[in-house]
Amino acid sequence: MMNKNIFKYDEWKRSEHMAVRQKVGYYLFTHQLMEVTGPDACRFLDYMFPNNISSLKPNRDRYTTMLNDQGEIIDDVVIMRMDEEKYWVSTLYLEKTDDWFYEHSEDYDIDTSDITDEWDMFSVQGPESKEIMNRITEGGVEELRFFANRTAVIGGHDVIINRGGFTGEKFGYEIYCNPDDSDDIQALLDAEVKAAGGKEVTEFQVFAWTLPTEAGFYYMRDLGHTNPFEVGLEKNINWDKEFIGKEALLKIRENGPEREMVGFEVCDENEDFYIRAKQYGGPGEPVFIEGEEEEVGRVSKLVYSYVKNVNNGYILAKKGKLKIGDHIRIHGTECVITEKNWLS
Amino acid sequence: MTKKIDERIPSNSGDGAAFTKYNAVQSPWNRLYSYQEALHYASRFEAVLSAAVAQAYRIIIPDYETRASEMCKEAYQRLFYTGTAYPADDSFGIHPFMCGSYPGALIGDKGDDALLMCGRCQDFGTYRCEKELDVCDWDICCSELCRATTMSLQGQADATATRHRKGKKLDYMMVEAKGCGDRHCRIVAENREKYPAPDHELWQSFGPAVSQDYIKYTEEEDTVEESMMFREECNYRFVNGTNTETDSSNQMINLSTAASLYLLPAIDNAVRLGYTDAKNADWIKKCVLEAAGKAMFGERYAIKACRDYLGVPNSVGEDGRLLGGLIEILLQSLVCSYEIEAFNKDEVIYVIDRGGLAITGCQSLPEAHLYMWQGMVKTLVNAQWSVWEEDSPKGKLRIKIAKKIDKFM
Repeated sequence: MMNKNIFKYDEWKRSEHMAVRQKVGYYLFTHQLMEVTGPDACRFLDYMFPNNISSLKPNRDRYTTMLNDQGEIIDDVVIMRMDEEKYWVSTLYLEKTDDWFYEHSEDYDIDTSDITDEWDMFSVQGPESKEIMNRITEGGVEELRFFANRTAVIGGHDVIINRGGFTGEKFGYEIYCNPDDSDDIQALLDAEVKAAGGKEVTEFQVFAWTLPTEAGFYYMRDLGHTNPFEVGLEKNINWDKEFIGKEALLKIRENGPEREMVGFEVCDENEDFYIRAKQYGGPGEPVFIEGEEEEVGRVSKLVYSYVKNVNNGYILAKKGKLKIGDHIRIHGTECVITEKNWLS
Repeated sequence: MTKKIDERIPSNSGDGAAFTKYNAVQSPWNRLYSYQEALHYASRFEAVLSAAVAQAYRIIIPDYETRASEMCKEAYQRLFYTGTAYPADDSFGIHPFMCGSYPGALIGDKGDDALLMCGRCQDFGTYRCEKELDVCDWDICCSELCRATTMSLQGQADATATRHRKGKKLDYMMVEAKGCGDRHCRIVAENREKYPAPDHELWQSFGPAVSQDYIKYTEEEDTVEESMMFREECNYRFVNGTNTETDSSNQMINLSTAASLYLLPAIDNAVRLGYTDAKNADWIKKCVLEAAGKAMFGERYAIKACRDYLGVPNSVGEDGRLLGGLIEILLQSLVCSYEIEAFNKDEVIYVIDRGGLAITGCQSLPEAHLYMWQGMVKTLVNAQWSVWEEDSPKGKLRIKIAKKIDKFM
């Protein structure tokens, strides 16, 4: 057999994915961290990002896109306010973000530093993650709200615990620790997670693709050269302030976006198909409406929902061309347009 | 009828190559070659030169297994060292949480596209990666090279793994190779905990893969001929799955060759290991490369085509300027600086930046070119003509193309 489905039949991936959905899973998920400090840190970040940073309280987090002057998304990050004048920007493109910050920081009294090497981060996700965290954390995490962080002690080591994640789970936590303490903390975590019937999630495709996609989340490649209106990330933009890309976005808001990200599922009987998706790089498979010659979109992502047992993904399509329920053929395989969430 | 506009060359191609007038390479007779064409020309010429060097290596170590094994070990060690000493995770989109050797696939993916080896990544995960190529200019060299390139990737991947917490090791294998006659090149990397297989020597890193049935085979009609940076459907950008982006503005300076990166180092290594001595190795290279150069214009139609390609006017007869024109195209394509000291019907003299021609720091590559040019001039012009090095200033290769009589030539 050729083109065997790399997700559906892979019990290894399935078990790691379902551990998070049904019990608990943990994985090393260290991102790059840029620390921004100084009296103008808040004002600076509020200009760099379209979402409201000035209203972010200490020990709270916020997800936001970062735009260029054309209103295109050049990064999506979580900003964590660690103190009055101290913020962490969690990114996967620090080199570019650093350059971008530098280009725009002249009029601001701020300092930026790459603190990535100072931290490892373990993500603990799933319905039983709260219980696990309560067991290993001195004082527990009972009071910790979503997208909030605080200092804590685990196994005698100082850590920062952030409640959040990239899986769509109601309960999910991130443990930031000194890399020298990582082995100790992982050993503790591993024992507790396994005792609870959970697993270490080791597969990149699970923690970066299948879990987030099931919840309708993006991995940055999905967002490249799109604007927030096209991918449904315009809701939390603060239009009452100035930010990079605002002028371009206002025009897009007025004229309407030219494209939109839609969900789709493979409904073909043959699930051992050949469909290229942008998640591997490249342009993605072209999408046509049957009987028409015009290309209406490209496949951005194609993975597998182990909860719904269906191949699921995203198509970046011309606005209005594909509607939920439409049946299309992609490279000869029958697919149907859906919402972008497989957990609801 | 449609109003479709076929793909065009990106307007920014060549921005990084420091051209002065056009983003194009220019022959002595003002024939212009687009950046894209020049890049292809350089890639093809260097592949032909590399194929000749491969034959020299085969003469030095006649036994296939020994030769392939030594080449793989050398490539693995050198690229492991390079990957350790010069980490560049950000430029490949390798994130801090990417532990183990699977991120090495990102290095190969980007490198392929830069070398015009277009194709696609078909799988990228902690336990399995797959890359399929439709085009590889190096496919004319030798299957030993296919093995060694795979092991250089293994070296880079293992080096990357040292920078993160301990992760899963992947066994990189070439399961199809255009150099072996396959339609595609295909590297499949597998973790042996998940896909068990017996241990093997480095040179034996050839397929089939354990996960053979997972292979995504691209049919002929869906194959591509250009790298992403030259394709409209990719917005003329290489973009990998972790959103690393590059365009074609300065790809020329990234060009590496099979000879510079693998074959000449393999010969140097063979000398170090005592398979031959340096003098004999050089002699073999000279013999083979001169013969390869002569073969390039053995047929009269090849000379005619060359004159047409360079835009040589009828007033220019059989003289050294013909070869000079070709050399200039190549040097410009490699972004190698040179000065023209003489260019007339009696002699052509270039002073070439030796460092620029020593691609990827390969010090013996300028001489390899010289040997090849000496062969080329014999058939492109005629046997009265020669190319030789004369009075080179420090750091330069001063070559003269002129008539020469040598009773022991």
